[in-house]
Amino acid sequence: MFEHAEDELIERVIRQLRKPVAIDEGLDARVMREIAAAARPARQRPALVRRWPLLAAAAAVAGLVIAQPWSHGSGVRSDSYQFVLLAPQAASVALVGDFNDWDPARSPMRAAHSGLWATIVPLAPGRYHYAFLVNGVEWRRDPAAPAALDDDFGAPSSVVTVGGS
Amino acid sequence: MGIDRVEMSDAELVRRVRAGDTGAYGALVARYRDRLGRYAVHMVGDREDAEEALQDAFVRAYRSLARCDDPERFGAWLYGILVNRCRTVGARASRRRKLFVHEPESTAGGSTGADVVDRLEWDDAVNRALARLAPEHREAFLLKHVEDLEYERIAQLTGAGISALKMRVKRAREQLQRFLREAEHV
Amino acid sequence: MTRSLAAAVGVITSLVLFASSVAAQDLRYERLDPDTRARVSAVIDSARTVGLPTEPLIQRALEGVLKGAGSDRIVAAVRRLAVDLGVARSALGSGTSSAELEAGVAALRAGATPTVLAHLRERRHQSLTVALAVLADLAARGVPVDSAAAAVLVLAPIARDADLVEFRRAVERDIALGAPPAAATSVRLDATARAAAPGRP
Repeated sequence: MFEHAEDELIERVIRQLRKPVAIDEGLDARVMREIAAAARPARQRPALVRRWPLLAAAAAVAGLVIAQPWSHGSGVRSDSYQFVLLAPQAASVALVGDFNDWDPARSPMRAAHSGLWATIVPLAPGRYHYAFLVNGVEWRRDPAAPAALDDDFGAPSSVVTVGGS
Repeated sequence: MGIDRVEMSDAELVRRVRAGDTGAYGALVARYRDRLGRYAVHMVGDREDAEEALQDAFVRAYRSLARCDDPERFGAWLYGILVNRCRTVGARASRRRKLFVHEPESTAGGSTGADVVDRLEWDDAVNRALARLAPEHREAFLLKHVEDLEYERIAQLTGAGISALKMRVKRAREQLQRFLREAEHV
Repeated sequence: MTRSLAAAVGVITSLVLFASSVAAQDLRYERLDPDTRARVSAVIDSARTVGLPTEPLIQRALEGVLKGAGSDRIVAAVRRLAVDLGVARSALGSGTSSAELEAGVAALRAGATPTVLAHLRERRHQSLTVALAVLADLAARGVPVDSAAAAVLVLAPIARDADLVEFRRAVERDIALGAPPAAATSVRLDATARAAAPGRP
């Protein structure tokens, strides 16, 4: 059995180690990009996404330890949201928006019977422009969501706002 | 029609991903990132390597999702993959100088300069002591005391026997105390 | 300083600069052609220097690329957003979150004045993201922006985010059923304000 004082010290250590650790919120996007990249034909595949590979190489060469900037990691809750579009004639529908870097490969939608396409996306609090890309060429707004007023690019978008802090 | 907030269990999300809804995997990543990240960061000791191990674990889990026998226990299954990734990455990291984990100090709470320094020194001392443990002792200690897993579960994740694990945890406790006493200034 | 020390400082400095320029190289930039990339990076670097959030700016550029917009149009959109984020921050205060700033931009573009934003900040002691979004979304559905702003300011001190969202949905339903937007707003405002008054369970 351990002495009381020693147990206390270990308890302090455990409390310290149990504190939440901030993970770079960019990690989610890197994972999803890597997964999406693998789904594309090989010749289109971009280099695997890694953070700062050149920086690490430079540090190794120089033998220096370069301080990492703070990752203020999310700690923010992301809730899951389901996006749905009725498009019975479509061969493919992708959801694109501010939450997935406008990358059609990241959130391909899944067709159910009856022409209803759906996907689930985690969203942290914020305001997101988004749209549906049908058959890779046709832009559609979400009929049930507010339109994006500021249409910079001549193709329709919608807006979703997620509250919280 | 439109957008609905949905509460989905791990099992439902896994089923959707298996059915082709790749985007739904993002919800699982968001759900487990911080929780698993804490283990990776303390086990590996270097933040960049830990995040690489974490990213690897998520990608491997996605690719082998068909082999997750019990989607209800996706988190536990993912843990096993992460423990292995940390072992691989950790072996590489130990050959380089490591950067220690520092969490940003919050500005709330009105701490004095001396408080902040004390906290940073303690933070540092704990990290250094942890880094000095042999990897299998550190792994067992973190899984038991920080991640709160049962010995049976840890045995499944690590492949070690329960009595061996108990010895490793005991050893880790003894060594941590010794290293921390050595580091004390008063 | 001795020559070797100066040389060492030079090496360290250039490595740090190299590190920060590498760090700025987000892989998403590779989706922009080199000319667009350079111009957009310049805008984003300036924004970063004054502490404005850069993620909305990157997303605007990526949207433009996917939608097939030309370089000038993409750069103009990113610049306009950077400017508007700055105006929103002046109105809402320096501690404002990125989500609030983006919603603030939406409200400004819908016609709300910076003064309205500042008043909202004074009257609502929690995140303004949803309140500002509701203002912008009502204007998008045809409610005159002054009516929308006045309604949101009335509700600001008393309504939860969920109440504001429900208010917006109710107004939109009424408009869809043929009610004039300003009238729909005023009717639903009374109902919401009464329900949200302090003292209710």
